[in-house]
Amino acid sequence: MSAGVVIGDLALRSAAAGGLALAFGGAPLGVLLIARRMSLSGDALSHGILPGAAIAYLLAGPNPLALTAGALIAALVVVSLSSLLARTRRLPEDAAFAVIYLSALALGVLLLARTAGPEALEALLFGATTALDRGGLLLAASAATATLAALALFIRGFVAESVDPQFVRAQGGRTGGGLHILLMMLVALNLVAGFRAFGALMTVGLMMIPAAGARFWARGFAGQACVAIALSAASGILGLLIAARLGVEPGAVMTLAAAGLFAVSGLVGVNGGLARSLKPSARL
Amino acid sequence: MASVVLENLTLGYAGRPAVWRLDGVFAAGKATAIVGPNGAGKSTLLKALAGLIQPIAGRTRLDGVSRRDIAYLAQDSGIDRGFPITLDDLVALGLQARLGLFRGVGPAERRALETAIAAVGLGGLEARPIAALSGGQFQRALFARVMAQDSKLILLDEPFAAQDTRTIDHLADVVRRWSAECRTLVLVLHDLDLARALCAETLVLAGEVVAWGPTATALTPETLKRADVLAATSAVEA
Repeated sequence: MSAGVVIGDLALRSAAAGGLALAFGGAPLGVLLIARRMSLSGDALSHGILPGAAIAYLLAGPNPLALTAGALIAALVVVSLSSLLARTRRLPEDAAFAVIYLSALALGVLLLARTAGPEALEALLFGATTALDRGGLLLAASAATATLAALALFIRGFVAESVDPQFVRAQGGRTGGGLHILLMMLVALNLVAGFRAFGALMTVGLMMIPAAGARFWARGFAGQACVAIALSAASGILGLLIAARLGVEPGAVMTLAAAGLFAVSGLVGVNGGLARSLKPSARL
Repeated sequence: MASVVLENLTLGYAGRPAVWRLDGVFAAGKATAIVGPNGAGKSTLLKALAGLIQPIAGRTRLDGVSRRDIAYLAQDSGIDRGFPITLDDLVALGLQARLGLFRGVGPAERRALETAIAAVGLGGLEARPIAALSGGQFQRALFARVMAQDSKLILLDEPFAAQDTRTIDHLADVVRRWSAECRTLVLVLHDLDLARALCAETLVLAGEVVAWGPTATALTPETLKRADVLAATSAVEA
């Protein structure tokens, strides 16, 4: 089976387009999250959106629009609550996040198990199908567009808040405020765009692993974001092709493909890759 | 010129006071050193001036400067040195308050950045990632960020700690230049010689004001001894 035949397949073509959209939206966000040492917050958020999806399922059945809206509302609630909890300064932000999202996960599991059965839960976490319908593709493309636009508009604020929150506060700015919530909502939007096709957890993989790999290729934020997009897109396409050959759901294979590219980056990357550090003279 | 007035200011953490009932004025256009033993509340006071912590009682009043125009350099900035930005980006954070969220860095701002980076002796390293800066270069970069803020009130917490002599000399010159420009400076300092060299005024702090006035009269062996005794007593009580 040649790649051309596979790409000729409509379902695969849709999945590839969805994967590309995720690469453009998710990977730059991954770079920002890693830079601000919040690598696991995407993972946390992917669990946190569950109760929203479950309630939407309960109210409207497997309606994609309702699922998306439910998941986004849940993300907003989870992010705002953990941000509020962290602002009381009685808990560090990641601990606040852990408390809120684990509670949300438990609530989501209970709701989904009661309303839709365990298959629905599995489908949500790991992805159900290679087929992204028109609406799904549109959502993925919108998420990528919104993310890139927001990054272009607010990048200085995002960077300032990430690199030195104390400095921003001393200037009368608020951290954990609007910009932080916006960033997390963008993460949620990209997760929502990917979760029905590739699964909530696997979507996080395509967001974070390429971003981590990009650190081995570029030092600046812009460079890392571009490399992360390329790595994520490559993992998506590669994973889809391999999954089609193996006849399995693509989400996990795409994530493993990202892991493979990460390993290659770690070995031969020009910025602190293993091969470089073994040969210090190569720098000269 | 900017001044800061303390009115019955009591500060602390989790309801436990670290600094009691301070009254006084950080004189406009002058440099004031805050000295005192460990645990005297020096950094706490500076954070309160920067608006980072709220007083338990009393207040700080700013004259001639707004809260968001204060330049504050923390003892430990907590900046992740692996963060993927360049020296230029880091210094440009100092323009944040002036530019707001959306406005770009124009020619005037670019000149301000270049001037600031050159003034701390880092000219030519603009494109270097902060991960590749030495400890001394990084502290210089943070000084350049303060300079880019162009603030009338500058708060520096142990700005020379752990720096080598050459860096200290250079950064001390930057502080002198700020003084000459009639900016109001408050520096937490451990090195008393530097306090004498750089600051016209000194506040000797030990949970309360031990002495506050012209450095020559406030910074004496007697006031320092009293500060030590006070700190030791409150440590026993704690």
